[in-house]
Amino acid sequence: MRKPERSTIASALVAFAVAVVVLGVLFPRSAAGELVDIASRPIMAEIALRLAVPITLAALGGIFAEKSGVINIGLEGLLIISAFTAVLAAWALGGDTSVDLWVGFLVGVLASVLLAGLFAVVCIEYEADQIIAGLAVWLVALGLAPFASTVVFGSKNTASISRFSEWTVPVLHDLFVNSGVAPLEYVGQVLLRANPIVYLMFAAVAASWYVLEYTAFGRWIEAAGENPKALDTAGVSVHHVRYAGVLISGVLAGIGGASLSVGHVGSFVGNGTTMIDGKGFIAIATYLFGNYNPLGTFAAAMLFSGLDSLQIGIQQFTPYDIPSQLIQSIPYVTVVLVLVLVGRTRTPDSAGEHYDTGEDS
Amino acid sequence: MNDDSPRATTESQPRWRRTLSRLVDASAKERMVISVAALVLAVAVGFVIVVLAGLAATCATKATVLGVPTPLCYDPVAVYHELFLGAIGHPLSGNWTPLHFRMAVTLQNATLLVFTGLAVAVSFRAGMFNIGVQGQMVLGALAAALATIHLGGVAPSGVLGTLVLVPVGVLAGAVAGGLWGALPGALKAYADANEVITTIMLNFVAANFAYVVVSSWFTPPDSSLVQTANIPTAAYIPTVPFAFQPRDSFSLLGLLFAVALVVGVAYLLARTVFGYDLRASGEQPEAAAYGGVSEKQTMVASMTLSGALGGVGGAVLVMMVQGRWLANLPQLGFDGITVSILAGNNPLGVGFAALLFGVLKSGSAAIGFGTDVPPSLVDVLRGLVILFVAMPEFFRMIGASLGVGGDVDA
Repeated sequence: MRKPERSTIASALVAFAVAVVVLGVLFPRSAAGELVDIASRPIMAEIALRLAVPITLAALGGIFAEKSGVINIGLEGLLIISAFTAVLAAWALGGDTSVDLWVGFLVGVLASVLLAGLFAVVCIEYEADQIIAGLAVWLVALGLAPFASTVVFGSKNTASISRFSEWTVPVLHDLFVNSGVAPLEYVGQVLLRANPIVYLMFAAVAASWYVLEYTAFGRWIEAAGENPKALDTAGVSVHHVRYAGVLISGVLAGIGGASLSVGHVGSFVGNGTTMIDGKGFIAIATYLFGNYNPLGTFAAAMLFSGLDSLQIGIQQFTPYDIPSQLIQSIPYVTVVLVLVLVGRTRTPDSAGEHYDTGEDS
Repeated sequence: MNDDSPRATTESQPRWRRTLSRLVDASAKERMVISVAALVLAVAVGFVIVVLAGLAATCATKATVLGVPTPLCYDPVAVYHELFLGAIGHPLSGNWTPLHFRMAVTLQNATLLVFTGLAVAVSFRAGMFNIGVQGQMVLGALAAALATIHLGGVAPSGVLGTLVLVPVGVLAGAVAGGLWGALPGALKAYADANEVITTIMLNFVAANFAYVVVSSWFTPPDSSLVQTANIPTAAYIPTVPFAFQPRDSFSLLGLLFAVALVVGVAYLLARTVFGYDLRASGEQPEAAAYGGVSEKQTMVASMTLSGALGGVGGAVLVMMVQGRWLANLPQLGFDGITVSILAGNNPLGVGFAALLFGVLKSGSAAIGFGTDVPPSLVDVLRGLVILFVAMPEFFRMIGASLGVGGDVDA
């Protein structure tokens, strides 16, 4: 079976969305019309952007790790541990001022980096199977965070603390929102006043894209995954580059997890699959769909979070009595469909393999 | 850098030869040593975690550890005492029988973990990472509950009904789990979709799907929980009169069935053509394909078998323990990953690892009763065990530095 190209799939999706919009505009009383009405509210875009944050950041981290040759399937665990630790630290400081929250945020990122560091040592130094070690990272976090939460808070869910307040772009926001021009008002509402985590996400996407595309370090990362021998011959330590790749995945996933808890929700939920709820695994699917490109990955993450925000909207604004669990399955089913359509992505040649420096082979 | 991967075919290189002979000569023994070492290390790290948690927690009275007053809120010695001896009912404290109800809980957990552990093991042996056993189990449990409830009206009661309903329930579980497992297998075989991600996603889908189905159509009107009606009495896996009580939710016959499956799967893998194909696909995919094994068919078949075993686990959960399908089933599928990895994906090893984890799961309940430490400590241990099993090189280095295990690293 010949695989459709990613661009073909993306175009088909866009065409489908356009068709729904046209239908909806032409027939405002139809289901498509209601969908368009819901989807066009600024609040939907705001929700989609916020939901995209943990997925995008974890995915960017996954790109750095996998491009350098270490498949990090433990992103879910990194999100869990940083989300919990950030709340714990912010709560210990009082949890109500923005300083408490930002310090908590940093502690959360640090926890994620430590766990990623452990994963890196296990994979690079002790040559563990990366998939198994990644599963271990996930399961350790899935056990540890609810355990620690129960120790401190007496329940798998933490106490509620404050959360980041929105940032407003000075002058421009007022100018846009009061402009009287609908598209500008929309942009003003969605992009010029937003949760800081949204701006953090944009910055991370741009920075990752720049680093991977235009810097020497980006080329080393690429070489460590594609042709470690060449990198070694050029005098750059493959191990060091891989450590860097995995640690960066820890930083980025840590920002994602802490963004979700102290940035957006204001607590940590540790029941069942925790509040992370598979976002780390969805992140892996998004960077595969985005073909390891930060921009494409961001687009894929927006696709998932857009669907997710739409399902929230459908539940809130329509009279249809669709069971929420059914609609909540949409993002997971989408991941499966995307993997089926995209199929095997061309993973870096040496991803998943250990690299020994010359002397013993 | 390819020469130490199991897929390399050139036998001329001494390093590859060394690796091969090491795997063949020492694999069983070495695996066992690594598993035991990983477990000991996980328990040791867990001890440190309990101590740290004991420092972090707040409490009215501080713990006295072995007669020594400490600044800790939790007594780590008591925790492990409960975890291991509490799990089997404190055999040293007198008045203990092997039929203690805690033994029943331990054996019940062990029985269930055999199914999910075998399910994971079969897929891993075939080179497929089936992380979706949880979802396969959830649907297997649902199918078993619905099948026995609906057949209960027409089936005879009593022993005859049991002879009909129990096999039907097990079969329904196997079919539902098998189909759900076949799905990611087929997606991998024919569309190259990464099975690690698809199986995890399908866990969420299965849980949501089963929840919607049960809450929409099968929850009794007077129930405040999302659950099915009770299965007919005749559909319970019968208990043996002289061992354990029905209220213990454990049946020796269930355990025997699990043991039979262990033997059956071990035989299947070791002695049958299908088992050979399956192992060959997992260990040397290229050679297997060259030898005429259809890679795609083996992928689907192994995932179907894996899912069916998970589904049977769900059926037994319903027919031995819960008596109905309940939302939020225990996470036996994830524990199955630990059991299988601890067992080196060997079916016979799965039996022992399941027993060990049965003790830990039962011990976690004992911790909940006997101490203030959160029982989810066992979930932490689960992750740590996998982490340590994942790094055999670590133990080799320690072994080498201690001057033991020379035969392993020779």
